[in-house]
Amino acid sequence: MRGARGSRAVRAGLGLIAISVLALLAPFLARSRPWLETARGEAALSAPVPWDPDAVDLDGRLRPPGRGHWLGTDELGRDVLARLLHGARVSVGAGALACAVALLAGSLLGALAGLAGGRTDRGVLFAVEVVQSVPALVLVAALAAFLPPSFFLAALLIGLTGWTDSARIVRAEARRLRSAPFLEAARAAGARRGRLLVRHVLPHALPPALATAPYVLGAAVLTEAGLSFLGLGTPPPAASWGRSLADARDVVTTAPWCVLPPAIALVLLVLSARRLGDAFAERSRIPSS
Amino acid sequence: MLAYALRRLLSALATLLGVLTLVFLLLSATPGDPAVLAARSSGGRPASPEALAAFRRLHGLDRPLPVQYVTWAARALRLDLGRSFQDGREVRERLAAALPATLYLNGCALLLAMLAAVPCGISAARRPGGRFDRVSGAVFDLLFATPSFVLGLLLLLVFSVKLRVTPLFSDPALGPLGVVLPVATLGLGAVALMSRFVRASVRTALDDPAALAARARGESGGAAVRRALRRSAGAFSALAAVLVPSLVTGSVLVERLFSWPGAGRLLADGVFARDVPVVLGLTLVAGCAVVVASLAGDLVSAWLDPRLRDVGLLGERP
Repeated sequence: MRGARGSRAVRAGLGLIAISVLALLAPFLARSRPWLETARGEAALSAPVPWDPDAVDLDGRLRPPGRGHWLGTDELGRDVLARLLHGARVSVGAGALACAVALLAGSLLGALAGLAGGRTDRGVLFAVEVVQSVPALVLVAALAAFLPPSFFLAALLIGLTGWTDSARIVRAEARRLRSAPFLEAARAAGARRGRLLVRHVLPHALPPALATAPYVLGAAVLTEAGLSFLGLGTPPPAASWGRSLADARDVVTTAPWCVLPPAIALVLLVLSARRLGDAFAERSRIPSS
Repeated sequence: MLAYALRRLLSALATLLGVLTLVFLLLSATPGDPAVLAARSSGGRPASPEALAAFRRLHGLDRPLPVQYVTWAARALRLDLGRSFQDGREVRERLAAALPATLYLNGCALLLAMLAAVPCGISAARRPGGRFDRVSGAVFDLLFATPSFVLGLLLLLVFSVKLRVTPLFSDPALGPLGVVLPVATLGLGAVALMSRFVRASVRTALDDPAALAARARGESGGAAVRRALRRSAGAFSALAAVLVPSLVTGSVLVERLFSWPGAGRLLADGVFARDVPVVLGLTLVAGCAVVVASLAGDLVSAWLDPRLRDVGLLGERP
């Protein structure tokens, strides 16, 4: 049983790494410029997916999968596989950035609340309650509408809705540590609050929050995909899975092959993140959400 | 119980006020003039300065921010959400026209989810690690990781494109066939969440020494499950707080996917038209739904379990 669980977690982790590597290598794997050129400018070795993700080809619209375009083309004649690879950069990148922002903000606020207690603690708890009361996608979509469309802004906004769980976990840990002997000693030695926070509380309180990182990543990826499905977030023509799915919806009767690749990729990414999160939660005995 | 209910109600009101303030502050902190943005997304032609000034005066945008906030909040408390930038109709009116469709969608989805999730969760909990538990667990894991709009697209691909039994867009005029896809999409997402929850809580109740003692006295399996269900009623009521946010998010996406004329689509349309009153109002309504659901869940839990009543305003234990 334990072995099976372990290998499941390893598979999930490997899946996550594989998707991230594909995302990182996308500009190299899918491009029309060949890898190697002969002296006369002919392609000696072309990229495995020799198409640019944004190259519109109106003569080659809605081609079914086959030679040349392995996964077919969409309603503007763009290669589905190239857009899938480049879309991974948006999903993984926005997810990772949002996750980092959420964990950073959450653990700092949580540690501060737990250590300071009193009014600060109540304030942070109230903020957690309020932010958790608005569904992330609704809040992010409402704000994204009034901001210039941008990858970084979208990721930042998603991160700023996702900090609440890590804040709660770190706060609980920090509260437990508040009267620990080593903190008393540090206080007696004259350590300021900032030093207490960074050197003494965070190293203990951070690991349980980090264990929830895969969950936060999965949630962030979902919110980003929903946001780009609604047509917000990373602006076109950049490929993103959510936007590809929204485009595929319009041609679902004539080009059903456009739906499956981004759908499967999105589910695989979220599933791997969740599985890894389950494994972490089991190891560190945090009640999973 | 009354004291707890009052305390909990007060904290819910404070949270609502916080949501109201958060949404207003964030929206007003975003750069760009709402009048210019709304004019640009509605007409396309740049509006004249006089028209912009008239627009600002009409919607009170020329007044200082604190005044705008107080006016808006005071009106929102009286359920008056202002007038839409798009057509000048009252947001309340547009919401009242759209909300029944959303409630119908969510009600059907919840019913479907309960009918599927409770038996599945119970069967899985009765034999943990058995074949049904493993298979249903894997299926629900997969469903849980699938965003609602992806699930909807896949259903659309199978039933509308391949089998051609359902329409491409929701169409209540066609009867059950016209609405089954959006309902199933939203419902299947909720099934995954619910059945995990049912399984976990029934499992906990069945693992209890009291359940073992009852079995030793000759209690049948069915009676044990009934008792387990009754004992986990408190846990079920906590489910509302988890389920409602996912249903709200799901509604926004599923309504857009199937062109369902509900509140979720109203929000998405408002977002695209840069219609500040509509976006503010609907975000507030979404927040209300979540706050009310978690309030109701907590009150039911505390009613069932008196130990839960001794908490402070922010949920901290004395």
